[in-house]
Amino acid sequence: MHNLDAAGHVRGESQYLDDIPVQRGTLHAAVYGSPLAHGKLLSLNLEAARRAPGVVRILTAQDIPGENQIGGIVPDEELLAGSHVHFQGMPVALVLAETEPQARAAVKLITADIEPLPIITDPREAQAKGELIVPPRTFRLGDPAAAWAECAHIIEGTAENGGQEHLYIETQGAYAYPTDGGGVRVHSSTQGPTAVQRHTARVLGTGMHKVEIDVTRLGGGFGGKEDQATTWGALAALGAFVTKKPVKLVLGRHDDLRMTGKRHPYTSDFKLGLSADLKLLAYEVTFYQNAGAAADLSPAVLERTLFHACNTYFIPNVRATAYSCRTHLPPNTAFRGFGGPQGMFVIESAIAKAADELGVLAWEIQRRNLLQDGQVFPYGQRVEDCNAELSWQAADQKFELKKWQAEVDAFNQQSPVRKRGLAVMPICFGISFTKTAMNQARALVHIYTDGSVGVSTGAVEMGQGVNTKMIQVAARTLGISPKRVRLETTNTTRVANTSPSAASATADLNGKAVEMACRELRTRLLRHAAEDLKMNYEGLEIQDEQVLAAGKPAETNWEKLVSTAYWKRVNLSENAHYATPDLWFDQTQEKGHPFAYHVYGTALVQATVDAMRGTYDVDAVRLVHDFGQSFTPGIDRGQIEGGLVQGLGWMTMEELIYNQDGRLLSNALSTYKVPDLYSVPKVLDVEFLETPGHPNAILRAKAVGEPPLMYGLGAYFAIRNAVRAFRPDVRPEFSAPFTPEKVLLNLYAARESAAAPAASQASGAEASVRN
Amino acid sequence: MSGTSTPKSAGQSLPPPPAAPVTLRINGQDHHLELAPWTSLLDALREYAGLTGTKKGCDHGQCGACTVLVDGKRINSCLTLAVLQEGADITTIEGLGQEGNLHPLQQAFIDHDAFQCGYCTPGQICSAQGLINEGKAHTEDEIRELMSGNICRCGAYVGILNAVKEVVDKKSIALRS
Repeated sequence: MHNLDAAGHVRGESQYLDDIPVQRGTLHAAVYGSPLAHGKLLSLNLEAARRAPGVVRILTAQDIPGENQIGGIVPDEELLAGSHVHFQGMPVALVLAETEPQARAAVKLITADIEPLPIITDPREAQAKGELIVPPRTFRLGDPAAAWAECAHIIEGTAENGGQEHLYIETQGAYAYPTDGGGVRVHSSTQGPTAVQRHTARVLGTGMHKVEIDVTRLGGGFGGKEDQATTWGALAALGAFVTKKPVKLVLGRHDDLRMTGKRHPYTSDFKLGLSADLKLLAYEVTFYQNAGAAADLSPAVLERTLFHACNTYFIPNVRATAYSCRTHLPPNTAFRGFGGPQGMFVIESAIAKAADELGVLAWEIQRRNLLQDGQVFPYGQRVEDCNAELSWQAADQKFELKKWQAEVDAFNQQSPVRKRGLAVMPICFGISFTKTAMNQARALVHIYTDGSVGVSTGAVEMGQGVNTKMIQVAARTLGISPKRVRLETTNTTRVANTSPSAASATADLNGKAVEMACRELRTRLLRHAAEDLKMNYEGLEIQDEQVLAAGKPAETNWEKLVSTAYWKRVNLSENAHYATPDLWFDQTQEKGHPFAYHVYGTALVQATVDAMRGTYDVDAVRLVHDFGQSFTPGIDRGQIEGGLVQGLGWMTMEELIYNQDGRLLSNALSTYKVPDLYSVPKVLDVEFLETPGHPNAILRAKAVGEPPLMYGLGAYFAIRNAVRAFRPDVRPEFSAPFTPEKVLLNLYAARESAAAPAASQASGAEASVRN
Repeated sequence: MSGTSTPKSAGQSLPPPPAAPVTLRINGQDHHLELAPWTSLLDALREYAGLTGTKKGCDHGQCGACTVLVDGKRINSCLTLAVLQEGADITTIEGLGQEGNLHPLQQAFIDHDAFQCGYCTPGQICSAQGLINEGKAHTEDEIRELMSGNICRCGAYVGILNAVKEVVDKKSIALRS
């Protein structure tokens, strides 16, 4: 079945935030952001802006009626800067004008007197100065300190990964109206309606019941609108609350890029111990996360880095420590994978380095250490229903790994300038919010008297196809056509206290709630049918809108059933609550059972490097993925392809650059390149690994949002292998993204310094070329 | 020491030139609009003609979300002024196909799951129609190259390529016969 939103999308009729018809009297807002990354805000000069054409009002921190605070996990983030600014682009003032161009023009007339304070952009420097968002966390398994003695090989090194701009094509925005009784209604482009509601209420000094958040759909989110949509929702609401007029705030692309946080850059140190037969025996890793200027979701992202520090490998002795470091960049935030990819990049780098030093292929180490049932993750959860070996073997068989490797080697033998590299990227990703309490959801289902059905959940449609999945679940459970079912907007007055659409868990959590509500309604309707038609309740079912008794058509169909039930005063609405069973985590011990289940898969990635130019193509990605029992294979395949492409982009071309003043230099699509149609691998095979799925997954179809992003890591190591095919003496540092520039620097690294492992990132290679 | 940002012309902005009547022919229909001279075609379509199918992604001609057809040629509507397109034939996503009678590209995008969030889709489809009108792209490689100005951050490129290829192939078969 295709995505049910398709017809609207292809005709341009799907309504996004900026498409909502504007009410008469609407004011348009623009934000004045701090020109400096850190300083004391001495004064603001608003006079010229106030006199500018069309300007109605300018709001600053003083105009906030409630608390000037939008920090979710840690209360450390002001909505509008009060006494200090903490990053370039931090909102300082909100201009309200009659038109959007007037508001934006007036912003340019604002000046601020700011006393500069020292700026930190490097997480290691922040850690050394004690600038931590939360205390460090350490996950432990076994005794690595004792295990080193048993290791035949010990490998040490450093790995760095850059950030990643979400670049949802629909920028951030919100449209707020004052409502009857002193409240406010906000149309928000958010993945987390409840977060916007909670913080808006806090800012306005009112109850959450007076703040209604409504979300139609998002033009992309990827994590960037999980927590960071709150600022714009709360600002629009503040404007509407203060002026009693509708206020619309849509960020221009430039503002969106410089004011919002990204995927976290990390710098990490690793130490990996192996036995003589290439078994991983011990792993110590220290992560330094660049959190930016406020906590945002960084502590939760940090936690997921620790959960995925060993990827899909069993290592009996582990110590993984992570620091969330406060710098003066925009607060970094959720991005598909949520810290997991950063953790996995380090263990894969460690394995690649071990392969370099031991003169073996990395996949020879990888395949010897895959997780197996009965083992234990460093966080205490037992490995169950493990498909690590299964997906590896399936990929090996279908894509003939050894033969492929031989072909790559043969190609490299006869090709002097173009070199190929092959890498295997197996993944294991845990499904659930790691904060156990968030694994709950509700659904409200109404059956109308004509037999049509309205479903409300906390799920936000952002392209992942969750609307189609919810409609499928409702239609299947009720035994009716999906055409009868409508998925309503996500609205905090219909479904309250929602978890954000995140953690790949949205379809599972909300789908289970829809299933429960529909089951209850079905039971109620069939009990009514049994009574009404004097039939035995046992054996009654609804299939294709027909009521069946012991498999044979009964005297009623769906429409009649609903209509007669109404007249018998049967309740045709149901609200269901679902909480994922058996989850727990004890943070004092860093042990528990945080995940409902795990998703596995294995990708084979080939890249070809042009050793004259440093350019490359990721030619082929062939993967086997553990979908469980997919009931929307078209949508799920799309998630794999899209996640992979984002992962490839992060590892290859997407280079986020801030200067030492904390100013974003890659501040447009001309300076920050994302994958286009040309950069997608020409060969892209997605094979469905048939597995039973998991009872905690909706209709046993496993979560599919985040895991495929990590297949993209394979591109980094494939390119690296190709570089080494040209220059076997070079051991490129682990510094993602592997841009063509870095490739070139490695291809022509000076001979004498090339073999020496350097600790810092690309600058090391750069220096060796200059010498 | 204080760090201060100074605007270029604080408090001295000139009064804007008045809006003037502009007639745009969009999807075969004349729209009489009052537009300031610097209004982009994109803003004219969305904010004045009420046609919100064309999307604003970057407003800098870098993402392709706002692609429309002007006299059959694809153009980033954010990079052209509305007044420059007076007298031209403008086609937006709303002008391609009707409900129940979709344009072949619209149907192909559905058949190949060529989108996820849908935000770039109108631009992708208009761009693909422009590509077909140009008659240059026949192979997959040519389509990749000539559609590379339309960014899909969801990464639905496999579907987009297949959808466009299918319609391009049908077109060339029709032309040969």
